Amino acid sequence: MSDEERERADKASVSRRAFLKGGAAATGALTAALIPGTAEAQLPDATEPDTRHSTVEMTVNGRLYRADVPNSTTLAQFLREDLKLTGTKLGCDRMQCGACTVVVNGRNVYSCTTLALQATGAEVLTIEGLAKDDALHPIQQAFIEHSGFQCGFCTSGQIMTTKVMLDRMPNPTEDQARLALAGNLCRCSAYKKILESVMAASRMMRA
Amino acid sequence: MAQQPTTPGGPLNVIGKRGPNIDAVERVTGRAKYTGDIDIPGMLVARVLRSPHAHARIASIDTSKAEAFRGVRAVITYKDAPKVMIWGNRQYALNNPVRFKGEAVAALAAVDAETAEKALKLIAVQYEPLPFVLDPEEALKPGAPQLFEDGNLEGMPRILNRGNIEQGLKESDKVIERMYHCPTMWSGGMEPRACVAQWEGDKLTLWASTQSPFRVHGSLAAMFGVPDGNVRIIASYVGGGFGTKSAPHTDESLAALLARKARLPVKLQYSREEEILDSNTRFETRIYVRVGVKKDMTINALELKAYINQGAYHTRLGGLGNQATHTYKTVNVRTEQYRVHTNIPNTGPTRGVGDPQEDFAVESALDEIAIEMGWDPMEFKLKNIKRNGDPIARGPAGVEDGRLITQVLDRCIELGAARIDWTRRNAAAGGQPGPKARGIGIALTERGGGGGVGGASVKVNLDGSAMVFYSSTDIGTGSRTTLAMIAAEVLSIPLSMFRTTAGDTEVAPYDGGSQGNRTLQGTGRAVQAAARDALDQILAAAGPMLDNTAPADLEMRDSVIRVKADPSKSVKLADVMQRRGRSAVGLGNTTAPQTGMNVERTTAAHFAEVEVDRETGKVRLLRYIAAHDLGRPINVTVVENQIEGGSIQGLALTQGEEMRFDKRTGGCLTGSFLDLKPPTMMDFDPRLIEAIIVPNEGVTGPYGAKGLGENPCHPGMAAVANAIYNAIGVRLREVPFSRGAVLAGLNAQRPAGSRTA
Repeated sequence: MSDEERERADKASVSRRAFLKGGAAATGALTAALIPGTAEAQLPDATEPDTRHSTVEMTVNGRLYRADVPNSTTLAQFLREDLKLTGTKLGCDRMQCGACTVVVNGRNVYSCTTLALQATGAEVLTIEGLAKDDALHPIQQAFIEHSGFQCGFCTSGQIMTTKVMLDRMPNPTEDQARLALAGNLCRCSAYKKILESVMAASRMMRA
Repeated sequence: MAQQPTTPGGPLNVIGKRGPNIDAVERVTGRAKYTGDIDIPGMLVARVLRSPHAHARIASIDTSKAEAFRGVRAVITYKDAPKVMIWGNRQYALNNPVRFKGEAVAALAAVDAETAEKALKLIAVQYEPLPFVLDPEEALKPGAPQLFEDGNLEGMPRILNRGNIEQGLKESDKVIERMYHCPTMWSGGMEPRACVAQWEGDKLTLWASTQSPFRVHGSLAAMFGVPDGNVRIIASYVGGGFGTKSAPHTDESLAALLARKARLPVKLQYSREEEILDSNTRFETRIYVRVGVKKDMTINALELKAYINQGAYHTRLGGLGNQATHTYKTVNVRTEQYRVHTNIPNTGPTRGVGDPQEDFAVESALDEIAIEMGWDPMEFKLKNIKRNGDPIARGPAGVEDGRLITQVLDRCIELGAARIDWTRRNAAAGGQPGPKARGIGIALTERGGGGGVGGASVKVNLDGSAMVFYSSTDIGTGSRTTLAMIAAEVLSIPLSMFRTTAGDTEVAPYDGGSQGNRTLQGTGRAVQAAARDALDQILAAAGPMLDNTAPADLEMRDSVIRVKADPSKSVKLADVMQRRGRSAVGLGNTTAPQTGMNVERTTAAHFAEVEVDRETGKVRLLRYIAAHDLGRPINVTVVENQIEGGSIQGLALTQGEEMRFDKRTGGCLTGSFLDLKPPTMMDFDPRLIEAIIVPNEGVTGPYGAKGLGENPCHPGMAAVANAIYNAIGVRLREVPFSRGAVLAGLNAQRPAGSRTA
């Protein structure tokens, strides 16, 4: 680990604690918003969220971005609101559905529960960065040819998870693919066509 | 089995093929803009304060501190809500009293989410809690807490009567009485409800996540008392609906009220918790069934008495379908429906309206009585189903004043039974020894589709490209694709030349919306008519370029117009359009497609094979065959996707998605995906789902297509319940089918002395 990496890791761990604090506060605020009376009676006062700002700097889809954001800003918020990359969707904001999946340093992460600060220095790939110029990525081509979606709201996440899986495991079995995609809900349940798309993408990328 | 030609001239070039969705590139690149992706400069963020009580009168509400809070631009309470119901459904944008825990009490708009959430806490509300009721049958008893001055029953009981039910039961050789229960179930999509409202003077533009833009359009025009033309609803891409977005909803009214008060655009996006709590989800049903049969295997009497838990308000839509009245040739039928208000959140029609719940009751009860009589349930159902030419009701009344046409339910049964190999079914339920037992079950279903008014326009541009405009939405059903294919077939312009604009009430004509199997038939016929209209204009313009040939003597193939008698004389579409100098705009407006005596229905037979672990109670799906009659498929890939996904949604109802409410507070206990357990790819192996498209051609829909979307979701509960019974001899009459319920059933089979506590 280089000094720079260590510093980054330290920062990330500090910000993670801050995030957990902020997260608890955010949950408290939401609960209070939903059920004010009981929330105030039963829950301790929520800690004020971390109001400090930090400069985040990351490469998103090959471009370097630097911005001053509140420490509590999630990666999903940073991508959608600051960078206007709205291809990343929020289905639950509680890491339960996978619609917000993006790739950070080669790993698929739920951007709804990752801090922008944690991604400082990282290489981030979103659905918008998958196609090279006008040439769609083979995974996108496969999802088109096999109609691996219905309403499309979960599709960005399904594709980004597929990307990471196929980068690591170019020739998965169908069962391995199902397991890899188990963290990505599709309420239309277009799972059969999604699985067909993933297997077709694997074949296309190996050809 | 074409009853009349639906396709003048030659074979079909576009319809009936496989192929990708026309909007696939937008959906896989993240370019498709959903409502939550809309960003307008200066746009405010709205948040909603929700009731902590299941039923309470708001004694006082003080918003002064919130209004004074830095960054807050507008606060609204029930005092700001126009006394116009959202959609004639007893509900104002904000209400006093509030009638479910989580109902909106106030809303505010601020410069950002953090400010809005802080300011919400500054609204001081004093509630006078009122007694509440959660159970639909309890709510009808004397002394029950009353939600409305005229009681808890919504309207009159819906009673449908045919023949004489009491006499039919008396004259039956065997009668059984059963009750089947489906709880309130969550049925929302991946995209939480969202809308953006913007006023320019007294003109409202609202981006909404809705299935029915014109319903929202009418609702808001009435609420704000503005001319119909002053409202524009845009629902370009919608992240799933399944019925929960088929009626106008509170969020649209709140956003519009806030935007008008703040004089700035407002975005209101529900959190997942709010979406679960306030989303017109699938209603609870308690259905009491009495069925009587004669020894000759005929169903002699079938009665359903249903208590439907509407929740606090209602969507004006809902109730059971026609499973009991339209599937079988039963002479004596009676259905009674009580739609009851209780202090749980609003419910509404979701995928199949009430059909899955009704299907569970009817298809389970018929399975039960067949087995008690020693009959094969499939043979029993085959003997009793309505077939072509049989009398059937045209409308919702009981009188069978029409006759059934283009029905192939018998083929659905035969093909499905052959695929799953029905002969492998256990002759005696529960007969397999050992810890694991397999069983096979069948459930049928039927539905109408395509009713209501349809409208669309088709524009051919100067370069020969084309557009389809329609105001219904593509909620994932592929309607952009199938509607464009219909226009491409009529015009013989390559599909790649088409684009679509969906869900915009300003640019497209009135249309009934995307629900109830209707878009393909209803809107599809309008698109077909609009394309023909455009084609007539094009051929008329081409005549002068082809020796003044009459339009009737011309035809267009692959964007080339030729003289029929001499195909060497031709002109390219783009050249005709350039010479014409203006686009060709065709209009299509259609009314209810079913006319005369003929009645066309959409049917299916589903077969489930399961393995039940007698030691753990786990039910594992082994195979699921879904054989459907959908007339002629427009796009085979889209059809398969609908059948496969819909089948999994139906199966999902057997394992989870139950919304539970705290009896002490009325609060929802299942406010997240972790509680509701919508299926992942691991819960039901999608490879086990096999769609069969039974060859057929209808007569009322475009190119013989029938609506499909609802049906695949109907039979899952009954097919699985019947399969579980076949495996282990345990009859489950309540969903979800938990391991505990399976084990309790097995325990009850044991001799009294060997039962576990």
